Amino acid sequence: MTLAELAEASGAPARTIRYYIARGLLRGPVKGGRDAAYTVEHLERLDRIRALQSEGRTLAEIAGALNGGQQKPAAAPATAWWQHAVADDVTVWVRADASPWRLKRIRAAVDELARRLRPVDDEQGKEEEIR
Amino acid sequence: MSSAVASFKPIAASTGESVRLAMQRLWLTGRVMAAGARLVVQHVFRSDEERPLEVIYSFPLPRDAALRGFRITGDGFEAHSELKATEEAVRAYERGVADGSLSTLARQYGDGLVNLTVGNVRPKETVKVYLEILTGVEMRDDGFRFRFPFTLAPAYHARMRAAVAGAQGEMELPADEFGDVILPPFREDAGSLHEVGFELSVLHGLPLEEVGSPSHSVKVMGGAVGSTRVALAPAKDVPNRDLVVDARYQATQVQALSGPSGDGKRSFALIVPSTMFGRNEEKPRRTAILLDRSGSMQGEPIAQARKAIEACLAALSEKDSFSLMAFDNNVEAMGGGVAPATREQREAARAFLKRVDARGGTELAAGVTEAARALGGGGDILIITDGQVFGTEAILAQARATGIRLFCLGIGSASQDRFLALLARETGGIGRFVTARERVDLAAVDLFASMGRPVATGLKADNAQPEPPEVVFAGTPVLLFGDSDQTAETGDSSGAVSLTWDGGAMRLDVPEGDAETGETVRLLRGSRLITDWESRYPAGEATGPVAARRQSRVAARLAELSATYGLASREMSLVAVVKRQGDRPGELPETRVVPVGMAQDTAFDAYFGDTSRMACQVASTAMPLQMDYSSAAKKRSGKRWFALGRSASRMAESALMREAEPTVLELAALLEPDGGMPGDNLGVRIARSIAAVLAFAAEGHTVADGAFRLHMSRLVGFLRSVSVSSDKEKLLLERALEAALTGRVPSGRWLALALSARTGWKQVGKALSL
Repeated sequence: MTLAELAEASGAPARTIRYYIARGLLRGPVKGGRDAAYTVEHLERLDRIRALQSEGRTLAEIAGALNGGQQKPAAAPATAWWQHAVADDVTVWVRADASPWRLKRIRAAVDELARRLRPVDDEQGKEEEIR
Repeated sequence: MSSAVASFKPIAASTGESVRLAMQRLWLTGRVMAAGARLVVQHVFRSDEERPLEVIYSFPLPRDAALRGFRITGDGFEAHSELKATEEAVRAYERGVADGSLSTLARQYGDGLVNLTVGNVRPKETVKVYLEILTGVEMRDDGFRFRFPFTLAPAYHARMRAAVAGAQGEMELPADEFGDVILPPFREDAGSLHEVGFELSVLHGLPLEEVGSPSHSVKVMGGAVGSTRVALAPAKDVPNRDLVVDARYQATQVQALSGPSGDGKRSFALIVPSTMFGRNEEKPRRTAILLDRSGSMQGEPIAQARKAIEACLAALSEKDSFSLMAFDNNVEAMGGGVAPATREQREAARAFLKRVDARGGTELAAGVTEAARALGGGGDILIITDGQVFGTEAILAQARATGIRLFCLGIGSASQDRFLALLARETGGIGRFVTARERVDLAAVDLFASMGRPVATGLKADNAQPEPPEVVFAGTPVLLFGDSDQTAETGDSSGAVSLTWDGGAMRLDVPEGDAETGETVRLLRGSRLITDWESRYPAGEATGPVAARRQSRVAARLAELSATYGLASREMSLVAVVKRQGDRPGELPETRVVPVGMAQDTAFDAYFGDTSRMACQVASTAMPLQMDYSSAAKKRSGKRWFALGRSASRMAESALMREAEPTVLELAALLEPDGGMPGDNLGVRIARSIAAVLAFAAEGHTVADGAFRLHMSRLVGFLRSVSVSSDKEKLLLERALEAALTGRVPSGRWLALALSARTGWKQVGKALSL
């Protein structure tokens, strides 16, 4: 398919596709010049990029992950941590230098953990009150 | 981090190898007037690659701005842009790129972001794009401030993705809300980037007292009346901050810019100073102060903002009431709601402010909503922020819905001026934007003095569009745009505009003017109307039928305005395709995104790298117990931005900060709720209050003029309420009251006297030679 057709099929504008190619997220067309063509592989790659973006990954991270599954560079040692007392017997440590987007995801997960642990605590509390 | 990035060089996105700059120069020229500016920005693109390039330059629009068109030139060709519906323009651009032709697209996105994309710049070719832009200016009774962004400040959005990649900061926004906009990479060191510069003509009908720049070293050439040229003094500069040019008039009066506008009408812009309306009434104030504590405010901006708030609160009497809040990802309030401005409350505010440091994101809408809730329907909000947020249309919608007036003090070296100007105007308030190297505290106190007490309400104009503000505040003039039907041919050469307000009326003549001014004024009006409608665009994709209807209504209006005024908007874009010999269809150009400098005074790690200051307190169900900082993190809060700016202007110099110098701001923060200075006994209080009045007057503040006019009024109120026994004391009092009205004061160490707790009648009498 042509670049215009790939753009139509993927929903990604042609300019964005060229940008991804320049960044190494996507291979260039299979032929050059007037015969430049794009394949289903390109389409699948674009879907994968979009999925990874919706998980909060940056294009640089996605390029690393897609090109031979390279690991992300080792994270720098944390300089600060938040501690969250989820329950009396559970504390969660979270790197304070996570991105705001990542912190939102973590918040949801910590909320969920706290919620799942809470009913037991609440029931115990009620039992203690009854006694 | 700063030492590691000092040797930044341009690098290819795909390979990480060094490349030459795809954009080499950005040069601003044009004419700046009291009602707005008509600018031409020259962009020089160059490919030093072996294959064609597609270069993307991303920039923010200044306040009330719209793109009019561009001209593209190169070796043996010149072409002009066409204004087309955005979808059509994108199709034309893509067809041009596919055909191997030189194609250029200027497309506007939400938040006033623009992508200028030039496709198929051939190897070793230089292409110049001259983009014409209409912009507004920040108006004051005594002058105006022009601001143009040479860089784009990174900003906060809850769903943004930000990281360091290839030794530069990258930021990506969600496509469902922002479309295919591409943001530039951010370099902490802008020294290796394209050069920027400017040469502007400042046109003025009124004699100018001063023209200067607090942001750049400038050469100023010209007389007091007519035209003054302002140019960058060094040969070139770097793209890491806005250009800010201030003009101040010798006297305050009505200004009229007008002329035939080509459609048989006379376009006009009238600037009516607030002093034409009357004086504000003394009545209790109800104020919520909202401080942005997001990570990008770290360093001196937040320190200055704290001091400014203390001084603002000292201007309140016990009849006034206030609430104080700080926001990042969360909103933290000082107390439950609005409380009288007693000494205890002010002490509580001081203690609250001490705890406020910069961290987290910028959930501005939540802050505004909370402040409006605390006010409960009556009062004003003063917001001190750098405004570094994306998704501003949603914030504007929420702010409008509160029905509360917002007074915005913006701080920053890179422009969020467009957003903060809209936020203030759309809610009926006023806004100021200062660079981080100016006195933020003075600007805050000045703005605060205008709040709560309008000089006119119920303002209406008979044939002005957009509608003028209903309420006028001291210090800020009213700008009226419109068309007058009368032309010179009718024999009536003086079209007129009638203004009415509660208890007053005024008729202003519109002079005949010249065609060039008339056309410029017509375009400025168009760009203002487009900006207003852009701000009403629903955020994100329309998901329900109501949102879809609203989106389509706004889109239709924008398309209509674009067509009427010949200006671009989100609905209409500018495109040009140049077909040339040797175009090679199908060849894929290599994309280059032009990097910009990290906004001066915004810490790189506030957005990229170690983003610890972006960290937020998480779940309320799981409160953080403690923060464990390493010493490395503690060391990073240096004041490296605190150097003095350079300027040819005395005015700008006077507004720049000086370190560790006692100021009248400290004095302002000391005022007691009754308006007097503190002291062990009444005699000391009166004597120090007299010295305080003289200290304020010595710096040009009176009860009617200057940032501390409110503090002066309160000091005068206090001095008038006390009774003194001796003739000498009465004379001293009279001297102070006279100085408060006239600003005339004998030389003396008044500030030191007022600040000293040991000052009494004797010391003040001696200083006044009595």
